[in-house]
Amino acid sequence: MACTKPIHSPLHQWHNIFRALPMLSPLSARPLSTASQTTTPKPRIPPPRLPANISQKVFTPPKKIKTYPPPPSTRNHHPFAIAAINEAHITTLDPTGARTRLFSRSNPDVPRVGDILLATFTTGDPFSGICLNIRRRGPDTAILLRNRLLTVGVEMWIKIYSPKVRSIEVVERAVKRARRARLYYLRKPKHDRGSVEGVVEEYLKRRRLLRSGAVGVREPTASAKNPSAARKGVGAR
Amino acid sequence: MASKMCQKSSQLPLTFLIPRFCLQFAPRRGIKSISKPRPNRFNRDPNLPLLESTTAAALERKRFTIPLRTGALGTKRGMTAMYDPDGRRFPCTVVQMDRVQVVAHKTRERNGYFAVQVGSGWKHPSNVTRPLLGHFAEHKVSPKRHLVEFRVKDESGLLDIGKIIGASWFLEGQYVDARANSRGMGFAGGMKRHGFSGQPASHGTSLTHRAMGSAGQSQGGGSRVYPGKKMAGRMGGHQVTTQNVKVVRVDDEKGLVVLHGSIPGPDGCSVKLSDAVKKPWPKVPTHLLAAQPATDPVSDTA
Repeated sequence: MACTKPIHSPLHQWHNIFRALPMLSPLSARPLSTASQTTTPKPRIPPPRLPANISQKVFTPPKKIKTYPPPPSTRNHHPFAIAAINEAHITTLDPTGARTRLFSRSNPDVPRVGDILLATFTTGDPFSGICLNIRRRGPDTAILLRNRLLTVGVEMWIKIYSPKVRSIEVVERAVKRARRARLYYLRKPKHDRGSVEGVVEEYLKRRRLLRSGAVGVREPTASAKNPSAARKGVGAR
Repeated sequence: MASKMCQKSSQLPLTFLIPRFCLQFAPRRGIKSISKPRPNRFNRDPNLPLLESTTAAALERKRFTIPLRTGALGTKRGMTAMYDPDGRRFPCTVVQMDRVQVVAHKTRERNGYFAVQVGSGWKHPSNVTRPLLGHFAEHKVSPKRHLVEFRVKDESGLLDIGKIIGASWFLEGQYVDARANSRGMGFAGGMKRHGFSGQPASHGTSLTHRAMGSAGQSQGGGSRVYPGKKMAGRMGGHQVTTQNVKVVRVDDEKGLVVLHGSIPGPDGCSVKLSDAVKKPWPKVPTHLLAAQPATDPVSDTA
């Protein structure tokens, strides 16, 4: 490496001088021969300048950002959205409240599992059977009826609020209160009641007579105390 | 070769000695292109068609699918059923809209597109970061729990900042697109996640009934698994859109929107509702679009 010592070349001396010029102005007055010898100037200690107000150093919290109040809440005032929708829908489906009352638990004449019920649809078709299950789910409240049609066991879920259901009537009460909520054991051949057509036929005959006024109407007051006492004809239209 | 060149150049007069205008008429030799030269090296010309990759072209393409008005944010509250006038029962989803307000605008000049920033719910200011608090304070809106953007076609869709969007923003009978984060399924296998068939239950299958199977070819396929190969992994928890959901009922007082059928996400999730892209835009009454001042800010922080 052919080393050229930059300190000894005159050009680099000039370079050093120019570089130092703005900072060390007295250097420019010195001769060039001494300029290469870098003399470190003593660092200038600035005069102590204390802040005018020392208390400024105390921590100041950040500027508070303005917040605005929220508008009135729909959710807080109406927290039960599904219930509200269901209730409104039931009122439109059952304006008189007859179906709600019929299946409400506070009703002493409420249809129970084991009763024989008769549902009539808007088309005029009836479907009757033993009630196996009552599913209370607001507007989805439904009953499961079982019957035997032409030697075949038939079951049908009937939504009580369905606009396609015209009426639901109790044809015959169970003799004994069922000790199960769901009488699925009636599907077994051992317990199957078979067809209820005979009972329904008798009921309809009786109802026709009642409506024609041929027979005196029985007072249904005793039914609350003794619902199994063959109180028939409770229904909702 | 070099000598030849030298010879030739020596025969010709030196070009810098010839006057410049004479050089113009001098016959030029060389390869001539038959095709016309392009107008510009960079293909820039006012008569050229719009480039497909520009923002302007993208906006033009999306002109028919960006809604005219903003959507709204709701919370899925659950499902129930209803009967239509014919007596047919149908399932429906209830979405509640709570304190939905326009928070900010995005404009073509500033952001490259038009959009409305919509917030819903309320969040205690102590739980909101200072940058966001400043954002809300700038637009004089209370801190919001959820913040989302809805693209709109042009500036006519920019609803006034601070305006409250109620349930009646949607019309009964119109169709909306519902977007929400789907239920998270966790780490799911290929059969559940992608509908793979799995392996037979019997016929000699041993301990391998729900496996993914092969991940690709051997040497013929490069001996590697291709990117995007469907495999087991995290399922759900991403945004899902249900298109063309009919609005069955609207209750402005309770902030309820009843939608036909199901929408993605669990109960309580945040749902983005906007006008259905694949149906004609709804004919919205003018009072919904007109600039209305926000209702008086009654303090309701409960």
